[in-house]
Amino acid sequence: MHFIFGKLRNAFILLLLSIYLTLSGCSGVLLHNWPQSHEYIPDRYVLNSVLFYPQKAYQCGPAALAMALEWSGVPSNPEVLVPEVFTPSRKGSLQSTMIAASRRHGRIAYSVSGPDALLAELSAGHPVIVLQNLGLSWFPAWHYAVVIGYDLPKAVIVLHSGITPRKQIPLRLFENTWARSNYWGLLVLPPSQLPATATEREYISAILGLEKTSQWKAAVEGYETALKRWPDSLLAHIGLGNSYYALSDFESAEKIFRDATCHYPTEGSVFNNLAQVLWKRGKNQEALKAAYKAVKLGGPLANIYQKTLEEIQTWNSMIK
Amino acid sequence: MSSLRRMKKPIAGLVIFTLSAFTIISVPAHAVMINTAEIFKQNQQDLARERINMFLDRSEVRKNLETWGENPNEAKARVDSLTDQEIAEIATRIDQLPAGGGALGTILGLAVLVFIVLLITDILGFTDIFPFVKKVDK
Repeated sequence: MHFIFGKLRNAFILLLLSIYLTLSGCSGVLLHNWPQSHEYIPDRYVLNSVLFYPQKAYQCGPAALAMALEWSGVPSNPEVLVPEVFTPSRKGSLQSTMIAASRRHGRIAYSVSGPDALLAELSAGHPVIVLQNLGLSWFPAWHYAVVIGYDLPKAVIVLHSGITPRKQIPLRLFENTWARSNYWGLLVLPPSQLPATATEREYISAILGLEKTSQWKAAVEGYETALKRWPDSLLAHIGLGNSYYALSDFESAEKIFRDATCHYPTEGSVFNNLAQVLWKRGKNQEALKAAYKAVKLGGPLANIYQKTLEEIQTWNSMIK
Repeated sequence: MSSLRRMKKPIAGLVIFTLSAFTIISVPAHAVMINTAEIFKQNQQDLARERINMFLDRSEVRKNLETWGENPNEAKARVDSLTDQEIAEIATRIDQLPAGGGALGTILGLAVLVFIVLLITDILGFTDIFPFVKKVDK
């Protein structure tokens, strides 16, 4: 648990304000309706496959992440994660570093926000890291916990939190503490699994995070998962081809980009990248043809296509 | 020192040779692959433009525009000339529209709707209501 003290004066003003708001009957927090039961998900569900790690002082971030990583198949423990996510000056772990650390271990970091998404992910068997404010908005006590289940008829949520495994707390209380972080939730998944609430753009964006940390093998797996779900996704095709290219697997890259030219015969970027790959493989004439095609199709990136064409032309004329 | 001076020509020759060799050899090494993030960005902008056009097609929006004497089709035509940043700004506002619900939601929704329409017309240069909107040069 982390306590970050605001300036005393501000706190005082906020105190007066909150007293006023309380007296005037405005709680300021809109409560979401948690369903008593749900059409699409079971009434109660608790994951038994999530190992519990008790946290040390202020270090709920590393503990929560270790539990999620372990569950996803990455051997881990809070101690080794401390240097990766813990910021000593703030006595806590920032959300962005939690996301970055998941990616560095080749895992998809996918954001889960709000009760509906939380229940959907849980019933799909995915534990969710949540950020709670156990204090008040003006006197925050930020805390990371791992939600592992729920029981709708009993109106409780089950979490691995602090030093308590399988802690049950009332839905209403949980929501009050979660709402103060704007329902910040994080899914840490192996790239072979799709989040239950996945949308194409959000999922691809999560894989882009893997690309940024040069986790190309994980990115390949992620894009393959995306293509299974969205076989027509242009982004997944290009991403998969580019990831193979980054791994210097030009043969697979060629196959993917060729496939993509059939799916997207009017997309210049696909032909541009195919040209690069073909040229890398020494298929200079075919490369030239693909580069021409990209230039002919044009579009917002036309100047790059032009550059590709010129480079291949220069090279071809040099080796003649 | 004098020996160094004597070496001037050969050294210069060597430098010129190496540098030019590097330039020639390294040309193809600069692969111009278009990365996934670039396509993602492009795609996002296309989607945002599509969303704004869909918004302008909504009957209540058209009615609002017509009440103020603006031609909805002209508005749509002008959306094409907006910068990506302006597009993103408007698209974010549209996303904030509450999705139906009770009486309060309807009133709130209407207010936000009018705000977005005015924001768009401001950016397009039809109106001049919000001081924070930079006008399109016409």
